[in-house]
Amino acid sequence: MSDSDTELTREEIKKTVVDSISAIKDGPRSMRMYMEMCAKCGTCASVCPVYYGKSEKRFNPAERTDIIRRIYNKYNTTSGKLFGKLAGAEDFDPDDLEDWQKIWYECTGCRRCATFCPFGIDHSVITRKGRAILDKLGMTPDTMAKVVAISLETGNTDGAGESAFRAAIDFLEEEMEEEHGTPIKIPIDKVGAKYFYVPPSGDVLVNPEATMGVAKVFHVLGMADDWTMSSKCFDGANYGLFTGNDGDMKTDNKLYVDTAKELECDVMLMGECGHAYRIMKMMMEKSGWWGDLPFKVENCMPWTADRIKEGLIEFDKSKNPQPVTYHDPCNFGRSCNIVDEPRAILEASCQDFREMYPNRGENWCCGGGGGLSAMDDIIEFRMEVSGKKKMDQIRDTGAVYVATACSNCKRQLTQLMEHHEEQIEVGGVHDMLSRSILINGKAADRVDYTA
Amino acid sequence: MDILRFFIGGVLPYVAVLVFVVAMVWRVRSWMKLPAPAMTLFPAPSPEGKANAINTAKEAVFFRSLYKGDKPLWVFAWGFHVVLALIFLGHLRVVSNIDQVFMTLGMTEAGIQGMSSGAGGAAGILILVTAVILLVRRLLLPRVREITSVGDILALSLIGAIVITGNMMRFAPEHFDLALTREYFANLATFGGVADAAALQNGVFLTHMCLALLLLMYIPFSKILHFGGIFFTHQLIRKQ
Repeated sequence: MSDSDTELTREEIKKTVVDSISAIKDGPRSMRMYMEMCAKCGTCASVCPVYYGKSEKRFNPAERTDIIRRIYNKYNTTSGKLFGKLAGAEDFDPDDLEDWQKIWYECTGCRRCATFCPFGIDHSVITRKGRAILDKLGMTPDTMAKVVAISLETGNTDGAGESAFRAAIDFLEEEMEEEHGTPIKIPIDKVGAKYFYVPPSGDVLVNPEATMGVAKVFHVLGMADDWTMSSKCFDGANYGLFTGNDGDMKTDNKLYVDTAKELECDVMLMGECGHAYRIMKMMMEKSGWWGDLPFKVENCMPWTADRIKEGLIEFDKSKNPQPVTYHDPCNFGRSCNIVDEPRAILEASCQDFREMYPNRGENWCCGGGGGLSAMDDIIEFRMEVSGKKKMDQIRDTGAVYVATACSNCKRQLTQLMEHHEEQIEVGGVHDMLSRSILINGKAADRVDYTA
Repeated sequence: MDILRFFIGGVLPYVAVLVFVVAMVWRVRSWMKLPAPAMTLFPAPSPEGKANAINTAKEAVFFRSLYKGDKPLWVFAWGFHVVLALIFLGHLRVVSNIDQVFMTLGMTEAGIQGMSSGAGGAAGILILVTAVILLVRRLLLPRVREITSVGDILALSLIGAIVITGNMMRFAPEHFDLALTREYFANLATFGGVADAAALQNGVFLTHMCLALLLLMYIPFSKILHFGGIFFTHQLIRKQ
């Protein structure tokens, strides 16, 4: 951030910000309409996880959006130009930028506001705009900027190389053989395999159980040769969504699409990662970023749930006797309509599955959405403010295992449990499947998974 | 005074309607011209066609999302808007001889009058009560007060003033002559000259109409734009 101060004068900064906000006049339609028609009714605040955690003006979604709206009015509406503050218009002050770095990263982009707003105003769109302006000025918070840089350089957010990936996969294959007494393969870089599995960030190196679960499903179905992972693309995370930088988002995305083409797969099977799947399915595929695709984008949860429904997978539920609940990641629940499938998997593989209320499209954010989960510099905010409601919600279920399908959620929830000293394990959906799926009529011989 | 009366009664109605129509058309056109990438929010109906139209209609007619999000606000906001719509319809009696239609449907003149003073009177009170509640809510609840600006108060106050002047005419002891207003609006609609219309001699009526026309012009340039926008924003973000 200090770099940009020396590079850009105050006038240049102001011009960048004002021009960027005035550009809203030319769309997209949603952003322009959000500038023009908020009724200031306060509904967004009453459903916002951040405002629930701390009811202060700066955490009010409508107020945060109004920061941009006031500048928009100042330069783009007649009433704003004529009547200033009376017409909700205010000029931009470069001194505010320091606070902008905080405030645009105090919204988790969970879109709960959009679900309940009488006009469907999605404040996450404006949050992303605020972040995009910061990014343009080179003022994206360091923690976020670093993740983007590493990701663009290495293709994954951990900065891991091919050898680390191969070593991790070898380890997982050994583990599975130990568990089941039979080799279970994880094919790598296999050209012509029907399914190309793209796991979420960290699901190979940090939380590998879900990847084992997926491998076991393919094994049980006799499809061990029909899928593959990639030694360059093993992390679906895409932080360009979070920093508001469309260019970064597309660059990061292109590597994965190109790899899928090289592998000649029919299906890009996305792992348990909400925003990765949303970008692939709802943005890249839907908007045709790269033209016609020779493959389809699917998610592993509906895929597995369908196989369970067909009766092709069996479980020993006694391996998962503890109360288990499911946290709907915002990007799956609110943005991608994958809600029943993870429940189908958990109900099939666990003895005591419990709902959390409210759930599905109305679920509360974990408090780490929008990339916040990766920012340890704001951990106090995440634990005490944005994650407060989630903690209450999880406690109410009495569950000792929270399954969720998102690496951001997993990290945030794990930290929440540590911070609030709760003995509740956090993990994935296929993790529970992995522990109880029958292979050759027998589930894995393993008791302690937390070690 | 006569000049002011002529301006409000003979000029402003044309200006206000023109401003409202032109500005709303301009607004909607400017929205439609802009790119609108799909923004999915689930559970959602299929992006195109009927399901989306039904969804938008549910939002516009029943305030469905608000009902789920904030029930107390829904009670007052929905009540406020429904009564407002009824009052708008009720004004057909003021501007035209719609009584004839009711009579052909078999209603007596006394019946129509009774319905008008009963339902209309109740609506006049209800709208005032809900408007005051919404204003008090705006000032009392921190989450609403902290985002309230002059424009929000202005919009509610303007509506409040229109309601009060309207109620003054309905509940005033002296008889309000509908025949006069009907004649006035008929002349207005046919550009027949209204300078010496008897209806304009009523100061309360003149004030009431002046405020209502100001409100009409204010709609496209204020937060009341949500009146038209709701039909478009819900098509951008799809939910069921």
